[in-house]
Amino acid sequence: MKNMVIEIPKTMYMITIVALYVNIAVALYAILAKPNLVKKIIALTILGDTVNTFAILAGYKVWRPGLVLQPPVLTELDDVSREVIEEFVSRSVDPLPQALVLTAIVINLAVTLFLIVLALYMYRHFGTVDMDRIGRMKRGVISEEVG
Amino acid sequence: MNSVIKALAFTSVLILAIVALAYATSSGGLGVLPPESLRPLAITYLRTVYNPENPKFTAMAPEAVTAILWDYRGLDTLFETVVFYGAIIAVLTLYRETYRERDILPLKGLSIVVKRATAVTSLAILSVAVATALHGHLTPGGGFQAGAIAAVAPLVMLIVFSKRFLSDRLSHVQLLTMRNLGLLGLGLTAIALAIVGFAIGEKAFIFQNQAKEMSKLSFPQRILGVPAGGTLLFFNIFEALAVAAGFTLVFMVLLSSEELSRKEIVGEEHGY
Repeated sequence: MKNMVIEIPKTMYMITIVALYVNIAVALYAILAKPNLVKKIIALTILGDTVNTFAILAGYKVWRPGLVLQPPVLTELDDVSREVIEEFVSRSVDPLPQALVLTAIVINLAVTLFLIVLALYMYRHFGTVDMDRIGRMKRGVISEEVG
Repeated sequence: MNSVIKALAFTSVLILAIVALAYATSSGGLGVLPPESLRPLAITYLRTVYNPENPKFTAMAPEAVTAILWDYRGLDTLFETVVFYGAIIAVLTLYRETYRERDILPLKGLSIVVKRATAVTSLAILSVAVATALHGHLTPGGGFQAGAIAAVAPLVMLIVFSKRFLSDRLSHVQLLTMRNLGLLGLGLTAIALAIVGFAIGEKAFIFQNQAKEMSKLSFPQRILGVPAGGTLLFFNIFEALAVAAGFTLVFMVLLSSEELSRKEIVGEEHGY
């Protein structure tokens, strides 16, 4: 009985975890190897969202077999007895990862906005967002000045 | 040739890392996430978040995530807000010479059908944002989300009605005032009980929500018969106002005309 309850979520859990690993790898590849700044920014958001999903997944744990989970929101407001609260406490998922992820999302959003504006600024300055080409242009200018 | 080998090596390292991590996870390397010993922490939060029988520790808000964000970890969120507005101020500083100027774009925009449809949907978006801000302590949602939703309306309007249309009606001074009012409200809500306590000679703390053992002052638990979560309602409203105004400012800078934005980098053509 115990095995039956645990077996099905474990496959799904593995699929989800491996999918998140693949996401992280793809995002890292794009951040490190792609010269285009816009692609780098897109990959950075993918990386951030993947890590946030990891944290949320850690909170959604069936910590007792056969438990039906619910979001950490109390819906009974007027007649709050001790039984209602104990039921809520035993079934709710961990709210702390969600609160931390909320903070991370907001900061991610602000940083992404700033990076987009910087990339736009660089495009207006250099006429391209390709880091390799910008590097070549700068090398050309430096060699002109020196020699 | 050299770059092909480099790319191949890099890709194979990444694939190897995925396989190794997947093997480690399937053989129980990460364990069952998270450890059992973390559950008491969650139980403490869940048990005290809305508990009239335990008035010394409760936040009196039915939504645990918002309560953690603005009450249990309120100072954390205040500094997060500082990071957020730091980024917005950095954007405005990059375009400090042009963001005040009137754009030279003509008042054209898209076709009349798109304009009318956008007018209706913008109202709908704004009302969803207001509902998200006001219900942040009852249902999932809150100040940041409401502000981000509300900022979608000006973003769509900037594209559909043109930038001149919006900036003639909502100048950067008004937006900056809205943002500053929101931030002022956030700060005042955080220290409101401390000020009241100082005035009437009671003990009170910064970021105090409900009455504690040492301090009898408290924000209202219910407003108009609905649970208000004390400070949470005010934090959500002010945060939504500030986030919406800040985002609208940045969108206006981002969607300025090319001629106006290029004024910012005049004189930087020589020397990188």
